[in-house]
Amino acid sequence: MRNGAEILKLGTLTITWWCIIFGAVWMACYLVGVAIPMLLSSYESDAARITAETCRALTPIVSVLVFIPINAMFMVLFERRGLAIFTVRLGPNRVGPDGYLQTAADAVKLLFKEDITPNGADAFMFTLAPIVFFAPSIFGAMPLLAAVTNYHELFQIVNLPTGIFFILAASSVPVVGIVMGGWASNNKYSLVGGLRSAAQAISYEIPLVLSLVTVCLLAGSLDVVEIMKQQAGGILNWNILGGGALRGLDSALAHKFATAAPALQDLSEKSFDQILKAAYSEPAAAALGLGAGQESVAGFAACVAVVVLIAAVLIAAGLYMTGACAEINRIPFDLPEAESELVSGYNTEYSGIKFAIFFLAEFTNLFIVASIFAVMFLGGGDCPVPAWLGNMLGGPQIASAINQALSPLIAIKLVDPPTLFAAIWVILKVYGIVFFAVLIRGTLPRFRIDQLMDFGWKRLIPLSLIVFVLVVFAREFVNVHVGS
Amino acid sequence: MATDTEVDLTPRLKTDEMLINMGPQHPATHGVLRLILTLDGEIVRHTEPILGHLHRAQEWQGQNRTWFQYQALIDRVDYLSGMFTSWAMARAAEVVDGCEVPERAEYLRVMVSEMNRITSHLLWLGTYLIDLGAMFGFPFYPFREREKLLELFEEIAGQRMMFNYIRIGGVMRNPKDAWLSKLKKFTEEFPDRVDEYEAIVTQNPIFLKRTKGVGILRKELGMDYGITGPSIRASGVNIDLRRTKPYSVYPKLKFDVPVNDRDGDTFDRYIFRIREMRESNEIIKQCLDMLPQGEISGKKQIAGLRVKAGEGFAAVESPRGTLGCYIISNGSDRAYRIKWRNPSFCNLSILPELLKNHPIADVMAIFGSIDVILPDVDR
Repeated sequence: MRNGAEILKLGTLTITWWCIIFGAVWMACYLVGVAIPMLLSSYESDAARITAETCRALTPIVSVLVFIPINAMFMVLFERRGLAIFTVRLGPNRVGPDGYLQTAADAVKLLFKEDITPNGADAFMFTLAPIVFFAPSIFGAMPLLAAVTNYHELFQIVNLPTGIFFILAASSVPVVGIVMGGWASNNKYSLVGGLRSAAQAISYEIPLVLSLVTVCLLAGSLDVVEIMKQQAGGILNWNILGGGALRGLDSALAHKFATAAPALQDLSEKSFDQILKAAYSEPAAAALGLGAGQESVAGFAACVAVVVLIAAVLIAAGLYMTGACAEINRIPFDLPEAESELVSGYNTEYSGIKFAIFFLAEFTNLFIVASIFAVMFLGGGDCPVPAWLGNMLGGPQIASAINQALSPLIAIKLVDPPTLFAAIWVILKVYGIVFFAVLIRGTLPRFRIDQLMDFGWKRLIPLSLIVFVLVVFAREFVNVHVGS
Repeated sequence: MATDTEVDLTPRLKTDEMLINMGPQHPATHGVLRLILTLDGEIVRHTEPILGHLHRAQEWQGQNRTWFQYQALIDRVDYLSGMFTSWAMARAAEVVDGCEVPERAEYLRVMVSEMNRITSHLLWLGTYLIDLGAMFGFPFYPFREREKLLELFEEIAGQRMMFNYIRIGGVMRNPKDAWLSKLKKFTEEFPDRVDEYEAIVTQNPIFLKRTKGVGILRKELGMDYGITGPSIRASGVNIDLRRTKPYSVYPKLKFDVPVNDRDGDTFDRYIFRIREMRESNEIIKQCLDMLPQGEISGKKQIAGLRVKAGEGFAAVESPRGTLGCYIISNGSDRAYRIKWRNPSFCNLSILPELLKNHPIADVMAIFGSIDVILPDVDR
């Protein structure tokens, strides 16, 4: 812990910026979604009613538009300070108090820079490229918004029954922007960068999608809200641990600790075993078509299936992270903008606001893939502590204390406790994943393009198919979310 | 510098070669080298290095400045290993002049030069990893140790990179005891730090993939092109002036010259530099133990410094290879003619051969691995 002080500073910086982001987004949502409609409700005209409804419907869009720029600004700073810690440096600490405003200054600088269109460039395409790159990351992430806000009534409008399909479809559009930008720049480095990006996106989207399909298979749904809701109830229910495969263990533990309080001597190891068996062997036995007498064999099969399922889902999670890193062009897959080869790749010729948009979109994409991971694998806004453990740690008391403290705000609908808690957990999980991505960036060199293709087609895609098949079979023996 | 190209171009589809200009303002060319690459897809078919963007007429300046002035200038020839350029010129001048160098000065020269070898290799390590695309992360770890050495340089020479410490006839300043003990402390902890780099780099799968079997330098080819230094030792040629043509107090010191037993690739060139750093550290340790008392200069360091008439050549083993200096003096206060033999220039000449039929992504991996300093090429 030689740089403990720096880590502490990063912590304070993170919390401060989270408060700023939360504050801004919360106020914007409140204004558009609650305050204006409340004001308008006193007028009894049709126009007022329609305006109020429009405002409510626009809340998700407003929240995203407020959230993305501020959040991207913070993420840049977070990444730079985080990397500085890994690399025994200090990082930006001069602008504002301890460097808090560094990216704000950078943003202002970029806005005022001259916007150059190079000679011989296709001006229309050149301008369109950053937009095509950025727009899908805003609108593609909309269904996620419904999941991460715990299906708050204002955000229900953006949910889709095929949410994850929409998100994936939208997330594959930005590569068109990169190719456009690379081609329109009239620069050979840009062109090579753009083409590399296309090849990379095609190869790595397959394992990415297959790993998410595996999760959808576990959940039996494409609806992100549905997938999020299924995982409620602590870390043992999350998809990353087999999506309910450990639900039996969870309920057994809950039972154990629920009965532990009144009479400790009641609780023998035997009863615990029975609960476990009841949780696992019955559906497994039914699936295998075994009689009641052979339940130990069936129990063994079920246990194997649980282990296989959990291993498969963990691999799927790793595949998702790998594919996502490639999809958003981060080290070790940052070939489209490989600095030591292609200067800056597809965005070599961009400057000013257009470059800023590319930059913004890159970090937004990182945030979005991290949120997809959080929703699909880590239970979205679910508290990782299971209810039985939370009860022992005094969770309900803490929750009611917070509710008590916030009651005036709840009364004017400024705070909705479930949404608040969900948002806090989501932001913690997402930034945990972002931190992991930063750590990877601070550790690995870059692949070469042919090695990248080898790795994608010969390793990741077969592995993702194997994982998919494993999950198909293993879930037959295990009591996963579906039908439970 | 153009080499013959026997390009096998038998396209079934109609394809065009693409001419791409890498540099002189490319982020990864370590200065201002310009490479004209002929690409077939992403494969380099032909390379033409264009030199001279950093030509500063260093030899001519030597003839128009007094010895005393030129001593201060000469560190700039190879700015990462200034001690060696100073030392090469000082040795050549001493050969011409015939003056004696006190033994303490020789030990100090060996010490600071080996320190300089370590800083040079550390900087190479960091930038090489950046060439491989590790933009952040471990490239900065070598700089942590380099910083400590630079602080020691600053203390003894007053400068962090342009030392002007090794002078004709001896060295400039006597180190204090505190300096020696700081250096001792550094030498004790340095091997652990090298282990740290090795732990994170040598075992890194992506690093191995990028470097193993890439840019193989055949022994004979390297000898034809006059490659020297760690690059050729990694390809199995045992040439190290410290051993093959011993000078100064090197014969009294125990150290290994690591030599490969096969044609080296970029990974070998990396690992042999790492080993050299460890050996340099051992040399410094021994020098600290053996450092005698006495004078530090055999010649008065005054502005009117003169070298007797005559001519002579001397070479030292710099971090990049054989660094030689040829001097003709007419006995005045400035040189009649100075000629440098720079290792970077000769090592760079192999580049078109090494790059042939490698993907463009390997250009920087190979170019970085032969460790070229552009001011040293262009002078």
